[in-house]
Amino acid sequence: MYATSPPATSPPPPPLARTSSSRGTALVVTACAVLFLAVVASIALGSRDISPPEVVRILLHPDGTGYNSHVLWTERIPRTLLGLTVGAALGASGLMMQALTMNPLADPGILGVEQGAAMFVVLGILFLDITGVTGYFWLALAGAGITSALVYLIGTRTNAGSSTLGLVLAGVALAAVMSSLITLLVVRDEAVYAHLRFWSVGQLTGRAKVLDEILPFAVAGLLLALPFGRTLNVLSMGEDAARGLGVRVERAQLLGAAVAVLLCAAATAAVGPVAFVGLVAAHCARMLAGADHRWSLPLSMACGAILLIGADIAGRLVLGHGEIQVGVMTAVVGTPFFVWLARRRNLVRV
Amino acid sequence: MELLIRSTAPGSTPGSAPASALRTATLARLLADRRARSRRTALTVAVLTVLLLGLLAASVLLGGVGRVDPADVLPAAFGMRTGLADYMIFRIRMPRALSALLSGALFGLAGALYQRLIRNPLATPDIVGISAGAGAGAATVLLLAPALPFGTPLAAVAGSLVLLGLVYALSLRGGLNTYRLVLVGIGLSGVCTAYTNYLFSLADQHSIAVAMRWLIGSVNGADWTGVSTLAVGLAVCVLCAARLGRPLGSMSLGDDLATGLGTSVPAARVAVLALGAGAAALATSVVGPIGFVSLISGPIAARLVGADRAFGLAPFVGAVLVLGADVLAQNAPLISPVPTGVLTALLGAPYFVWLILRRRPGATS
Repeated sequence: MYATSPPATSPPPPPLARTSSSRGTALVVTACAVLFLAVVASIALGSRDISPPEVVRILLHPDGTGYNSHVLWTERIPRTLLGLTVGAALGASGLMMQALTMNPLADPGILGVEQGAAMFVVLGILFLDITGVTGYFWLALAGAGITSALVYLIGTRTNAGSSTLGLVLAGVALAAVMSSLITLLVVRDEAVYAHLRFWSVGQLTGRAKVLDEILPFAVAGLLLALPFGRTLNVLSMGEDAARGLGVRVERAQLLGAAVAVLLCAAATAAVGPVAFVGLVAAHCARMLAGADHRWSLPLSMACGAILLIGADIAGRLVLGHGEIQVGVMTAVVGTPFFVWLARRRNLVRV
Repeated sequence: MELLIRSTAPGSTPGSAPASALRTATLARLLADRRARSRRTALTVAVLTVLLLGLLAASVLLGGVGRVDPADVLPAAFGMRTGLADYMIFRIRMPRALSALLSGALFGLAGALYQRLIRNPLATPDIVGISAGAGAGAATVLLLAPALPFGTPLAAVAGSLVLLGLVYALSLRGGLNTYRLVLVGIGLSGVCTAYTNYLFSLADQHSIAVAMRWLIGSVNGADWTGVSTLAVGLAVCVLCAARLGRPLGSMSLGDDLATGLGTSVPAARVAVLALGAGAAALATSVVGPIGFVSLISGPIAARLVGADRAFGLAPFVGAVLVLGADVLAQNAPLISPVPTGVLTALLGAPYFVWLILRRRPGATS
């Protein structure tokens, strides 16, 4: 939940706190327009200069030949679609994790869930000879699920002063264990280590093939998440109030967590751990839409996609040649945001 | 503790006879208790020293790969052999063992300084991101200007001090809040790690060993330059820490009392923070961010000799931890060879979890 979470003792009358549907629709339409612009920019911009008329021509004639056409159809377009999918998945996952744990710092990367997914992927590569993104996906799903359960169990039982900090510390500790185990496993196989090091930064480059394999899982997760807004609204009023309204709280929480983990696993299996996207997207969505999850949930998907695509474009353009991986760019954007959140008066117990 | 003894010293407040007798008896008990604890401290230091010498011998004798005739080990250790024995013992194993020992001591000292100042076992240089800042600074120089003399340690210290300044400034808000400090540190260490990761993904395959050292921490490839850097650094840090011992002691009574006792609290606080950052950064510049040593050394020392004496013992514990982890990392069946930092993280992170899970009734901070 947000830093200024509504106290359970005086639940606000639900209709008043809700975003009006006309405002919500306007927000979603605006977000989609910005997202569209980001997609266009991501297709048009890159280290290789292709003039806008040329881009339009290639897009209109998909069967064209030539190097520019090749770059566009096999690299930039799949890369953009992957950014769109992964960003939306991370945004929705971040918002759902924050709403379910009532923790404004929750993010699949910060809570160590992505490291858990990575750990299982490495185990699969080494011991089960699994290659191919579908195999990675099931491993990542198992790893993300187990790690989230562990982080939640440890984080809610800490003596760290606040459950907000407890979850973050549990995430940091588990991420450290996971990355040590990963190193322990791959350290003698330099090829695997090099591959992993490449993957562990989180990037969209050269992953065109990944898209087809991960798309069904990501789309299923996003479609499952969309109707969850109403349930999250009810849960945010506190467990007792939710129970009073006839919601089966435990079942709803478990389902929500399962969807959030599914989204995070799909994203991680596709591009590697990318921290801070879920965190920033969820907060942007809530700043725009307020406390109503029916609107902030689709908005956080749009914000996540805009953020990831934007960071990817920036990473492509910031250096003249070569590029900065998107995971590094999102850390550069996300860290000041995280610090700003951590500085808020209500967040940490003073 | 010292204040208590001073205020109950005989002659300071002459009272009625039974009360004075009682006070004398209490004082005698306190002094006896203190003597017993001093003996225990001395014994612990002795045991740790023996342990360290044993580990040092094990590290030089066993050493991981390569065979050296046992008869050659001792002369080679003093540089009195040539050829393979000299190379293995004097050029590889000795610097490695000494680097592990000295860097462990520096990490332990840094952790104890922070834990004593901030009064929270979680607020150590690696958790609040100072080791990550040092690693980022060192990695920058290593990749962009490797020829600079003493560039790596200087850049590491500079990086850690910049990060310390940022973390400190960003977590100040009407006083220093420990949890905000930890959160801000976790956030900023994220960006430092991403940056270091990025630098090494540029540097490509051939520098994997180097990359591993800067991302995980390893004493592999240590040399005598590193050892002398660490030794000089440790000596300077210990001297400074000894000077800061009294202000730290009075600050543990609370800022108001400490000011009353003549300590300049803000100056002492900045000095301790900078010294801890410098110690951690020096160690990081030579062996990389070996995880969790600064976190667990202090609490282990406190377990051994009590919280008020843990400060001096923590460097010994840190040295034993890193050297022991390195002997294991080189020789343990199935897993060796691995970077030393992997083992300390595998030991330290569960301890960290235990530390945040432990419930102390009534504990507030």
